[in-house]
Amino acid sequence: MRDDELDLLRAVDPVSSHEGPWRERPLDHRAERALNQLLFSTRRRKVRRLLVVRAEAAVLAIVAVLAYTFSGPGAQAAVAVPTALHLRTDAPSVSLNVLAHRAAALAKAAGPEDGPRRGSHVQSWYMSMESGPDAAPPVTVPEERITRWNADGGGSEMVVATDPRHPGRPVIHADEDGHWHTVNDGKVLHHKVYPAGSEAQHGGLASRTRPPTNPDGLRELLGMLYGSGTGDTPQLLQALSSYRQEWTPGPRETAAIVELLASADGLRPAGIVTDRLGRRGQAYVYTGHGGSMEGARQMIILDPRTGTLLGNEITVTKDLPDYKIKAGEVMSYEAWMP
Amino acid sequence: MSTEEAFADAYRTHYWAVSRFVARRLDGQADEVEEVVAEVFSIAWRRRADLPDSPLPWLYGVARNCLANTVRGLGRYRRLLNRIGNHEVAHRRGTVESPDAERPGSWVHEALARLSPADQEVLRLTAWEELTIEELGVTLGCSQSAAAMRLHRARGRLRTQIDRMRATVSVQAGGYRDA
Repeated sequence: MRDDELDLLRAVDPVSSHEGPWRERPLDHRAERALNQLLFSTRRRKVRRLLVVRAEAAVLAIVAVLAYTFSGPGAQAAVAVPTALHLRTDAPSVSLNVLAHRAAALAKAAGPEDGPRRGSHVQSWYMSMESGPDAAPPVTVPEERITRWNADGGGSEMVVATDPRHPGRPVIHADEDGHWHTVNDGKVLHHKVYPAGSEAQHGGLASRTRPPTNPDGLRELLGMLYGSGTGDTPQLLQALSSYRQEWTPGPRETAAIVELLASADGLRPAGIVTDRLGRRGQAYVYTGHGGSMEGARQMIILDPRTGTLLGNEITVTKDLPDYKIKAGEVMSYEAWMP
Repeated sequence: MSTEEAFADAYRTHYWAVSRFVARRLDGQADEVEEVVAEVFSIAWRRRADLPDSPLPWLYGVARNCLANTVRGLGRYRRLLNRIGNHEVAHRRGTVESPDAERPGSWVHEALARLSPADQEVLRLTAWEELTIEELGVTLGCSQSAAAMRLHRARGRLRTQIDRMRATVSVQAGGYRDA
């Protein structure tokens, strides 16, 4: 008896529902977050959305908005690409190993009330790169996001359009349908209050998983949640960014983070910075080659006294004239607050 | 149930099925698949008022259109990657030999690849997405009878290709025993 051709085809299904990255299971943190963003209309344009090229009509719409914005005699929107943080090398740098010791000492002295805390307070900006080779200047989408979860399972999420570089000026924002328009600085883009007991429904796996206080456990968790367990430092830095959006670490978690960073390949002290919120930080830059962020410089900023994560910044390292992007321009930054 | 709740339910229930659908056709790295899946559900969200009671075949239909746009966009994406560095994706795409070539049953994939894109799709939807004829019609945007006819013809053409390849394997290996 000959095999049925459909049976043969079934037997060589290249993507399994029982194993591998696309196996059937509850939603992971990324999928949960994407769903929440759709449901709560807080779409964000991230650099990673490069792949999905928008229709030409959408590009023209963005160009039109920008042309109007640039040429209008009234209030100008904050559309300029932010300047990269200035690295000062006149002060001595703190190595990650030294900082790991400082963070470990603070962790030992920490009490039960010292976190971690579920939720985060983040100021962020991402370059829009969806407009392709015929691009208008990159659009800024600055926002400040506060997410809080309480012990009773209730919480709240608020997103405000704001740009610390241009207080009081309009900023460009994409609405839930992907249309760009300007909104006033400080405008509440999204505010949602979750009743007690609803955290399990709205929070993803990452927000439900209390972060480990040891570097090995943290590495394992980040690998599980974000696929960063391969020793790829650029991936690790991106995973920490995602993790930081879900949790505000306390001293114990911070010590684990700094020790993990100290063991990461290619991460070197680059200088002292004053970040966009006016805080002094020690910057570390990934100096390795290859990996998932080739062509971009990743910088992470830590408090040199405590090891607390302050922020990150990604800059382009090559001119991209077709995209109107120059080497050294910022692709994104995040500033994490307590 | 509101349309928002129906959408959330469809998302939670079918997220991984849609991911597999995209992964099978994009043959890309996880980031690419996630981006496309995000776009699929973003479009589905905007069209949530059209969400049917059985949403999966409809979602596959949305994903088909989305993939068509993405494949066109990938050329532009790869050009950018080539500009900013020798990104691993660009390298991977340039690789001629695929691991599949050494995998048992790769000849079945080759037989499938010899068919027209339309035949391939109707067979993939049936064998890998396990759609019924009725669901096939929803995904392909045609009537049930048309879907049944398309499947029937595609199966016949796949059968022919498999037989030809088995004959080739038989000659090369010095004999083929029909199971």
